[in-house]
Amino acid sequence: MTGRRVTVTSPQTRLAHARRRYRGRWRPTTLDPAEAPRAVALYRVQLRGAALALGLLLTLIFGLPLLLAMWPQLVDVRVLGIPLAWLAPVLIPFPAMVALGFWHLRRAERAEDE
Amino acid sequence: MIVAFAVAPVVLVTLLIGLRGVAAMRTTSDFLVASRRVSPLLNSAAVSGEYLSAASFLGVAGLVVKDGVGSLWYPVGFTAGYIAMLALVAAPMRRSGALTVPDFAEARLASPSLRRLAAVVVLVIGALYLVPQFRTAGLVLSVVSGTPYWVGVAISGAAVSATLALGGMRAATYVQAFQFVFKLLLFIIPAIWLLVQAGPGVRDEAVHPVEFTRFDHDTEVVFRVGATLDVPEGARVVEPDGGTRPVPPGEWQVPAGSTVVFEDGSPVPQLRGEAAPGAAGWERPLLDLHDEGYPLLGTWAVLIATMLGTMGLPHVIMRFHTSPDGRAARRTAALTVALLSVFYLFPGIYGVLGRVLVPHLYLSGATDSAVVALPAQVDDGSAGTLFTGLLTAGAFAAFLATSLGLLLVVAGAISHDLVPGGLRQLRVAVVGAAVTVVLLALPAARFDAGTLVTWGFTVAASTFCPLLVLGIWWRRLTAPGAIAGVAVGLVATAGAFLLTVSGPPADGWLAILLVQPAPWSVPLAFATMIVVSLFGRPPPWSTAAMLRLHLHEHRTSPFADRSAVARDLGHSSWTARRSSAVRRITRRLVR
Repeated sequence: MTGRRVTVTSPQTRLAHARRRYRGRWRPTTLDPAEAPRAVALYRVQLRGAALALGLLLTLIFGLPLLLAMWPQLVDVRVLGIPLAWLAPVLIPFPAMVALGFWHLRRAERAEDE
Repeated sequence: MIVAFAVAPVVLVTLLIGLRGVAAMRTTSDFLVASRRVSPLLNSAAVSGEYLSAASFLGVAGLVVKDGVGSLWYPVGFTAGYIAMLALVAAPMRRSGALTVPDFAEARLASPSLRRLAAVVVLVIGALYLVPQFRTAGLVLSVVSGTPYWVGVAISGAAVSATLALGGMRAATYVQAFQFVFKLLLFIIPAIWLLVQAGPGVRDEAVHPVEFTRFDHDTEVVFRVGATLDVPEGARVVEPDGGTRPVPPGEWQVPAGSTVVFEDGSPVPQLRGEAAPGAAGWERPLLDLHDEGYPLLGTWAVLIATMLGTMGLPHVIMRFHTSPDGRAARRTAALTVALLSVFYLFPGIYGVLGRVLVPHLYLSGATDSAVVALPAQVDDGSAGTLFTGLLTAGAFAAFLATSLGLLLVVAGAISHDLVPGGLRQLRVAVVGAAVTVVLLALPAARFDAGTLVTWGFTVAASTFCPLLVLGIWWRRLTAPGAIAGVAVGLVATAGAFLLTVSGPPADGWLAILLVQPAPWSVPLAFATMIVVSLFGRPPPWSTAAMLRLHLHEHRTSPFADRSAVARDLGHSSWTARRSSAVRRITRRLVR
């Protein structure tokens, strides 16, 4: 009978301790496997939605300068005395972007509600 | 006088609202993200209040006076950024649970070096954005009230750092939301008043632009910075004693700090390297950067930089972290688009009126002050003074709101990301950062605010925009790839700016791509990130980390019924939560 004290651990615990642990503030993100298919489906839907919204946005804000560059005579067309080409960069993009924003918001939220 | 009436109430109200935020401030999260309890409407007002800086309140109208109607594309890019934010970044970013952008980088990619690099980028963007705010505050005060330049800089530095150090993000939220409403009213009402008061003659001139070639009254031009003028035959100036004298034709170096009064009817000198307001091309609704003859390329370059830059601005992203959940963050972005769109209907009015009434500001490079200079031209009585005061107050609110948000991210980058510390250290960092920026802004009077802010946007577009977009949507992104991409973006933009400032003169489309490097630096940063990541191997948890960002918070958890799950997977729930299980499941779903 010696006075030595030994640590008694289950093999499972020893295995767990031997595994590399993340130190410091950072911990790996956990995702419940049961939720993974849902997450994948959401990721796909949102990616498609975002691509569509961005495509529309880019068409709008890059296409409008292109149109204005192709028809410089729009400066001479006047609405209430104001050149149409001056109204175009203000009165077309902003309402269109507000509509696009709320449209995308509704679709993104609906995808999550399903 | 105007300082007392216009600026003092704004500063006082800022401080009073700031005091409201002092209560219940215990943790870093309280300080940096207002405990994440800000509703979408309040938050979007705060985002808009923070975003409408001096560049929007004064800068856009000034650019219209100087460069033409094409400058109206800047606000379009500023607003479009929030659509991109809404679609790509807002909700997943909030769900990451990070407090700052460097936090997010570390949470997604587990790399402390990336966190430090991101913090340095935040400091660069913060400095590029903050210095012009303080500088313009100093200049506007000196224009309307004749105080020395440093007074305005010091007042704004003191007000901003006191509010923030006491109240943190909660105070900043209330102040910015209040200042958005304030700015909106102080921008729209004077615009309508100016349109009515200007009379049919001026309104007609405003929509029929002619080149500014002749002074139509005795015009005083104050040169705060020196200028090189090309004087035409027959130009005359009024002497202080009332007599007039001709100016010899040819080059004229006007020293800084001088005041010149040009005589009624005298031809207008030409500013070296700039076209006069109303010259050919002014009326074209495209942006010809540096008059290089590529208006479409210039317009697109500016749109890319402003749109993608908005998505990467750290102080804007920080505001989204104050939302309670991802859905609220998304709603905030959509509402912000609407609020900004209302505001941006009006800068053009100031711009086209400014071309008629104050075109001489372009001679001294002071078109930034066109908005506050307009009321005095329309009405020289008390109404004019009143509206000058209102617009000055609005402009000052713009500096304060933007500086609040920026100073907060700079303090967060220093004291949360670089040298982690507690609440007290954050407060000290705020004051320290404010003092540094004031010291940087004092000698910066001659820098063009618009240029510096656009550089800030370009740096954000070439560093954080790829980091966030790929971090949220691409599971194969690795930490080395992200570090390489951010570094390449930072070096590329900095190199382009150095070449513009000191390098050999370039012309044609090359000059545009140096002045506005976003069209090539953003794709370069994206490509670097992708290529370097493809050479490496993403960590095993990378897919789970990415997918987690897209899973909304308030869902019915499949773990509500634990036994069902255990049966389905054939494991105990804890084994099933290992990343290997997630990998097995997602392998067939995500490529």
